[in-house]
Amino acid sequence: MSLLFRDRLPLHVAVSKRCLHLILTASLVAVGFVFLSPPLSRKLLTTSFLPHAFCYLRNPPLIWTHVISDALIGFAYLAISITLGYLIYRTRRDIPFHWMFLAFGLFIVACGGTHIMEVITVWIPVYVLSATVKVFTALASVTTAAILPFTVAGTLELVQQAKITHEATARLRASEERKGALLREVHHRVKNNLAVICSIFYLQSTHTQERQAIEIFRDMENRVHSMALVHESLYSSENLACIDFGEYAQHLAKDILASHASPEASVRLTTELEKVTMAVDLALPCGMILNELISNAFKHGLPNVSGEIKLTLRKAPEGKCTLTVEDNGVGIPSDLDINNSRSLGLRLVRLLTRQIRGSFELIGSNPGTIANLQFAVERNDYA
Amino acid sequence: MTTPNPSPEQRALIVEDEALIAEELKERLSRLGFSVIGTVDSADEGIAIATRELPDVILMDIRLRGHKDGIQAAHEIRQQVDIPIVYVTAYSDKLTIERVKHTDHDGFILKPFHRHDLQSTLEIAIERHAIRQKRRLQ
Repeated sequence: MSLLFRDRLPLHVAVSKRCLHLILTASLVAVGFVFLSPPLSRKLLTTSFLPHAFCYLRNPPLIWTHVISDALIGFAYLAISITLGYLIYRTRRDIPFHWMFLAFGLFIVACGGTHIMEVITVWIPVYVLSATVKVFTALASVTTAAILPFTVAGTLELVQQAKITHEATARLRASEERKGALLREVHHRVKNNLAVICSIFYLQSTHTQERQAIEIFRDMENRVHSMALVHESLYSSENLACIDFGEYAQHLAKDILASHASPEASVRLTTELEKVTMAVDLALPCGMILNELISNAFKHGLPNVSGEIKLTLRKAPEGKCTLTVEDNGVGIPSDLDINNSRSLGLRLVRLLTRQIRGSFELIGSNPGTIANLQFAVERNDYA
Repeated sequence: MTTPNPSPEQRALIVEDEALIAEELKERLSRLGFSVIGTVDSADEGIAIATRELPDVILMDIRLRGHKDGIQAAHEIRQQVDIPIVYVTAYSDKLTIERVKHTDHDGFILKPFHRHDLQSTLEIAIERHAIRQKRRLQ
């Protein structure tokens, strides 16, 4: 058996290969025996008692031709029936009419047997055995011939069904493709609409000179942008339902950095992001939370627009993951109560954390602040 | 804020079918020191104005009003005149990126964008075009 699996081929392929090798080797040996060693072959034909030789006109080439051909046919039939038997064994539950294949197999084995008997009776006069094999072959042939017509209708139906299945599969695939295209289109439209909203915020911001108002519009634009980015990641994703949040976070952080950029700003961003696949209903609130945390780090942590922001996304045990935004800025006021803070950013973080059943903490880490969000991904993980 | 090329004033054409996004682009370009010579929403109008007015840069959306899209418009414009073209689009799917790659253009900005995307992409586009022109003259 170990030889059969040597090439890691499926068993039936290995068996057929082996049978083929055997038959080819046998025929080569036989041919070699007859043509390369005439004295030996003559000796085998002359010194032995040859009960069947008379029928072959005592002509050695003719006898050998019969012997070799019969032997080859016999072995080939045996190989065919082994393959067939193996096929029936493997598909016995799935294939209809497997008894018909069985009858075929039996018929082929029997035919092979008669040919082998032809070879044997050249030397050994076992005509009774040969006749028995022939009777058996006759029975197997007649049985197969008799049952075959009954399977014609079923087989035709089977072919028809296979055709129908094939067409149905093609239709299903086409409809899947249409569905995919439609979904992509929807995500694109949503993203385009969000882009229009960003434009409105921007245009409105150009109507005021007040620094605080401009900042409010920029914050609004960034919030909408964090949502738009989820849709962008979605329609570039394979299954249109999940995104790689690590990749998203990297993209979002860079965009927020760009939105706060100014000639005097020098904030360095470092990231350590694992690949965490998230469904859209989780990615949207998470994206918005991340947007608030990074914006907070900018506005409150690094008010003199220089410093470092570190973004970390790690998988945690029990299907959870941890998202951390660290800055090395001025740190949080000691009297800050995140549950009662009047800051809209923290309020959004609190609300969205509750929505995703997560937990959030803000830790002062002299210098700077660490914002830590932990939540379960598995529940929404369709990937 | 620095302008890509403060003097003389660069002329820009916007081809974009979302009126508000077009307006934002116009506003941002003005702030960057460009004079916007027109805002159109179809490929044919874009081609007509581009070949007639010869702006210094064209901002081109990919999905436009009418049967022709921005990639076709860019192709037709570049067959007639050499003007730097920057795509501004919400499309970032593989097929669009693949199509964009095979056309002559000088930049690509994804919507929604930030002002720095716009500024740096325009600077690079205009610079690339200038280098191309210089090489041609040599």
